[in-house]
Amino acid sequence: MTKNETTKNDTVRNGAVRNGTSKKVMNKRMGIILKSLLTRWDGLIASIFCMLWIAVSIISLVWTPYALTFTDGYNVWSAPSSSHILGTDGAGADVFSWLMAGSATELLIVCAVAVITAVCGVSGVAVSVSRNSGVRGISVVTFDALISIPIIVIALLCAAPWGASIVGVIIACSFAYSLNLMRVVRPSAITAVRSPYVTFARYKGISEFKIFWTHILPQIIPSVIINVSFASATAILAESGLTYLGVGVPSHIASWGRSLSTAANFVTIHPSVALWPGVIITVAVIMINLLGDALRESIDPLTNAELRRS
Amino acid sequence: MMQTAGVKQTMQAKQTVQAKQTVQMNQRNIIKTILSRIALFVVMLWIVSLVIFFALRILPGDVAAIIAGTNSSVERYRSIRTQLGLDRPLIEQYGSWLWDIVRGNLGTSVITGQAMGERLTVRAAVTFPLIIMSMIITLAMGIPTAVWSVTSQHAWVRTSLRVMSQILGAIPALWAGLLLVMIFGKGSGFIGILPTQGFPAQPLSSVSTFLTACASLILPAVSVGIITAAQVMRYTRSALLDGENANHIAWSMTAGMTYAQAVRTTGLRLALPQIISVAGVTFASMITGVLTVETLFNIPGIATILLSDMSERDLPAVQTELLLLAAFFLLVGLVIDMLQRLIDPRLRAQQAHTNQ
Repeated sequence: MTKNETTKNDTVRNGAVRNGTSKKVMNKRMGIILKSLLTRWDGLIASIFCMLWIAVSIISLVWTPYALTFTDGYNVWSAPSSSHILGTDGAGADVFSWLMAGSATELLIVCAVAVITAVCGVSGVAVSVSRNSGVRGISVVTFDALISIPIIVIALLCAAPWGASIVGVIIACSFAYSLNLMRVVRPSAITAVRSPYVTFARYKGISEFKIFWTHILPQIIPSVIINVSFASATAILAESGLTYLGVGVPSHIASWGRSLSTAANFVTIHPSVALWPGVIITVAVIMINLLGDALRESIDPLTNAELRRS
Repeated sequence: MMQTAGVKQTMQAKQTVQAKQTVQMNQRNIIKTILSRIALFVVMLWIVSLVIFFALRILPGDVAAIIAGTNSSVERYRSIRTQLGLDRPLIEQYGSWLWDIVRGNLGTSVITGQAMGERLTVRAAVTFPLIIMSMIITLAMGIPTAVWSVTSQHAWVRTSLRVMSQILGAIPALWAGLLLVMIFGKGSGFIGILPTQGFPAQPLSSVSTFLTACASLILPAVSVGIITAAQVMRYTRSALLDGENANHIAWSMTAGMTYAQAVRTTGLRLALPQIISVAGVTFASMITGVLTVETLFNIPGIATILLSDMSERDLPAVQTELLLLAAFFLLVGLVIDMLQRLIDPRLRAQQAHTNQ
């Protein structure tokens, strides 16, 4: 009783005090999450891979072993050698340079899809568990109906007026994966809404937005993370498919999907050129999934004992 | 004695009446849900048609310019536009397009002059068997391996199945197709037994052409199916484990089942609604892969006409094709939703409860 009163008084007297402590607690928690992420084997490997990926992307913006426009006409389809680490393709362009430049494009797509999916998906969840039953009902059936529209239709729709573009890939992927996220995360959000502290907060007249932000969001964060990582990983796969069909990344911009597509038609003659883009895509997808798993485990107090104690 | 028997009888009669009433009410509820779901389907389709029509007209440049060619005069271009009705106001064009579709008239491709309906059915007759084959491979591989990865008594089997699903689910469909060509492709692979290019001309008259057609669909179907199987397996596995957390498995085991039996009967039955909804989403996500492998294996499915119409800016054809694709997938969503209500009594009970 007395304890409650004192904290309340503290808050009333000086909001800054509370803000300061919560910031400190947040920092401490971030430290714990980061530490447990890096002590897990999957988290460590995935983090190292992502760091490397970011580093390579940044380097590729200013330097690649060969310029992308450079073609070595005398060395077409050459095997890996000291001058061309992964060989050259049918035009004599350096495969390694194109893959390096492609990693920047791919990073852009992955990050954009992750951010847009997280924002749109979570707002969709917020709408679909809202207090107003009319809004709730309409949003749920609409999302359920829209989820069956495939990515390729959206991509074609974007490609029709603007031609193949990175933005089209991002829009198509984010659209499909946000709906997917809403559908998967909604049950845990409903569980959170039915909990007594949300009922209590509603009785106190706290705004719906604040309730969602402080009480419901922390509950659904683990499954949101898993879904966002799945979405951004699948975006890489979708990019390669869309680019091959000619509605993804335009052909003059480097991307892993483009490298795979250019090699695809000659695979029976020169299999090695098709090998590397496929390997790098597969590894990247696995790593993003691992990162999502590890992050979920370390951010969830139910699975991370140290976070619970703090 | 007699009195109590009479009371019993009246009570029984009352109960049957009550049961009948609830059944009737349930039926009414079900019909209401089905009707509202179908109404939603129609509204969705209408919105999609609006989006498709106006999205395709954001930029100038149309099929008339392509037909006229680069060296034609402005007058000729104008006359072609009038002929095709492209100079009418957009609303009018939209209205006549929608009215034609509602009456079942899909129009003709303005470039080749073929009837759209005929053109699409010939292509769909290749694409749909491919989709269905991939779906069968997906389910036939995904669900048994999921059960196996939960029930196996060896830790290494469980772990390696999980690792395998992670790796297989991360392969792009295009690359899977390329790898399969390198392994099984006729003429180039290590075990060259399956055709990798083309498809016999339609209609498939004899048994041998039918078999050739099936053979040429195997590699494409497998290259899409394996990847989606890995995804279905992952979801099914987690659905089975959820059931285990809810103690259903433990209860079945107290009733005398072994662990594997309990997972196979109770666990799968409980996970079935989730598996169906995942299968529905997979169905939609599979189409990108299907179109990719169609192009890769040079199969004359809908991918080819869709992409060529797109690059020729044959907008009337593209908008009809996109609308039909969207309609098909919205329909799949509708069916999945209905199926889920049909097999999951919990959903129906919930609905009856909320309606009362």
